[in-house]
Amino acid sequence: MGLQTTEKPFLERVEEAKKDKFMQGSVAKAQDAQLIKREDARAQLGHWQQWRELGEQIRKETVRYLPDYLEEFADNVEKQGGHVFFAKDDKEAAAFIRQVAVEKKAKNIVKSKSMVTAEIGLNKQLLSIPGVSLMETDLAEFILQEDDWDEPTHIVFPTLHKNRTQIQKIFQKLGYKGDNDPSTMAKFARKYLRNKFIHADLGITGCNFAIADNGMINLVTNEGNADLCMAIPKTQVVVMGMERIVPSLKEAETLDNMLSRSAVGQKLTSYCTFCGKKQDGESDGPDDFYVVIVDNGRSKALGTVFEPVLQCIRCGACLNVCPIYRHIGGHGYGSIYPGPIGAVLSPILDGYEKFGDLPFASSLCAACTETCPVKIPLHHLLIEHRRIMMDKIHTDHTFTNQIMKIIGVGTGSPFLFKSVLRFGHVGLNVLTTKKPANTVSGFLYQQGRVGKVNPPLPKLMLGWTDLRDLPNVSKKHQNFRSWFGKHTPVKAVAHPQPLK
Amino acid sequence: MEKLQMGKANREAFLNHLAQKSGRPRHQLKDHPFKPINDLPHTTLAGHSQDELLDIAEKNSTAVHVDFRTTTKDGLADVLNQYLDAKHTQNLLLPTTDQWQHFALANWFNDHQSSAMLWQPDATRAENLDRAEKADVAIGFADYLLAESGTITVATRPGQGRAFNFLPQHYLSIIPKSRIVARSTQAMDHYDADIKAGRLKTSNINFITGPSNSGDIEMVLVVGVHGPLDMTYVVVNDL
Repeated sequence: MGLQTTEKPFLERVEEAKKDKFMQGSVAKAQDAQLIKREDARAQLGHWQQWRELGEQIRKETVRYLPDYLEEFADNVEKQGGHVFFAKDDKEAAAFIRQVAVEKKAKNIVKSKSMVTAEIGLNKQLLSIPGVSLMETDLAEFILQEDDWDEPTHIVFPTLHKNRTQIQKIFQKLGYKGDNDPSTMAKFARKYLRNKFIHADLGITGCNFAIADNGMINLVTNEGNADLCMAIPKTQVVVMGMERIVPSLKEAETLDNMLSRSAVGQKLTSYCTFCGKKQDGESDGPDDFYVVIVDNGRSKALGTVFEPVLQCIRCGACLNVCPIYRHIGGHGYGSIYPGPIGAVLSPILDGYEKFGDLPFASSLCAACTETCPVKIPLHHLLIEHRRIMMDKIHTDHTFTNQIMKIIGVGTGSPFLFKSVLRFGHVGLNVLTTKKPANTVSGFLYQQGRVGKVNPPLPKLMLGWTDLRDLPNVSKKHQNFRSWFGKHTPVKAVAHPQPLK
Repeated sequence: MEKLQMGKANREAFLNHLAQKSGRPRHQLKDHPFKPINDLPHTTLAGHSQDELLDIAEKNSTAVHVDFRTTTKDGLADVLNQYLDAKHTQNLLLPTTDQWQHFALANWFNDHQSSAMLWQPDATRAENLDRAEKADVAIGFADYLLAESGTITVATRPGQGRAFNFLPQHYLSIIPKSRIVARSTQAMDHYDADIKAGRLKTSNINFITGPSNSGDIEMVLVVGVHGPLDMTYVVVNDL
């Protein structure tokens, strides 16, 4: 799949998303349900702001000394007989894992859910090996795979855009004959995938956190499929973004608590596992243990204002509070990392040409920054992306500069400025609502009249009037300057008499 | 395509690139070890007695769909027999461990040894996995029970492997009351110290909070996906 999920232009994706009412309803339901669960779980823990400070410190310091922690981790993996490959980009990472699969003569590969394996386009590489069977074993990823590798729509709930009847139809292609009850369908998936697990010779997992001082990896899951991927196959490949590292088991445990609460509102998920290469005397677990550490553009954030984005623990809480994500869902972003974190991260990983629209897919309400458990200043970073695009690389080819120049000339000339005050109301009357703006909602959301007239006018308004009317300026005799001129300043009273 | 190589050159090129991009030199960590800015992981839920922790553990375990039971060493065999009857057990999987004696279950184990399957240290991977896959019930031992989250913790050992905890349909875990701790922090402190001191040799530590579950279909909670369909904790009063 790769980082980019579609080549359709941003506005086309948004239009498609706006028509998908089921997706919008599902996202709204998920956001509302998660709000209650997440805030309740955080409140029960207590001192949430201090926990955030601790989480931020752990992530910030490991990113600060990232080469040292990665070196320590690699030393410890290798001490136990494991192998580490450092991949500078997606192609190198996927090619190395393909190379391992070929060398091990793997025929039956099982995977657990991993965003970074999607980012590096791993499945396509593995499926190019003749005779290889590849199976996603997370229930949601399994559904997407069987639906012709559909794209995920959320980093924690990938199938949020599908309803139970759609899933029933997908399973029917595999021989399922039951109803659309989620419990019955999950049992079918359990049975179907159990057979794949038993015959698996290569397991591929992601990594929530790598433990620097003992070479273990930590996975936080709910279904149990990741643990089977790490128990049954003789070979395991772990794929991790290079920043997913912590000093020791203790910091991993702290972050697991924060991740579980922030992602799904649980105190801990069903399975938090810390594991490595099979030791002498143990009969299951990987004989061959590989870790692939992926850069793929992450290093472009190091030493820049964007470095805090590497603190991310992929909880998805920022998606769950975002009003833009609520309306356009994951597919609207066109990146496997949607929502505010995706809008910050995607342009860093693969540039503004592909993902330059995403920093503008934000109301800058700052809800993402406020909910982030490791205090990434997400909305500040979105503004920083905008600043770079506007001021440094000049990606804006609309009429913004010309409009701003005209406004500059108009406000810089007393004659023009007064003329606008005198005639602006009449001039704009044709574009603005004729109804009085008695209420806030009436004022903000009318008919979008400007958006309905022929181009180029809506184009000039850059979408600002798609859903709302342009408010008119006041008539000259009603504007502030006129009002101010008719009123005499009242001298302030320094010591008012007490009321009797 | 040329074969991609692991090794020192691959590692050094990658890490030097990170140092160069960040503008910070490598090998600074020894002078800047991580020191947490607060002690919340330890102070949260601190100061409870073992009886209070048992109550908290029961409440939180029940909340994650665990069948929570308490008993004494003398009553444990009866609890296990009732459980096996209730599950209509056909294929029972047991660990190879000296814990049976510790819990006064030597006779119970001897009675069931011939009919049950054992996860055996000297068996092959295929043999142990086959037993776990066939098992409808597994009875195992946990290292700790975390009161805050209703979580049992199990380190993989030769006699109780990884898949022991995941392949069987129904799972019962025996935990001594003395091993209930407040949070994951205390359990992790023990594991971290034991691994570093060489007292514990393991490749895998599982923190298990209730049965497997998923909300992937319309966010409807489904209990029992790839791991056990249900979980039972039996806390044995050893104090």
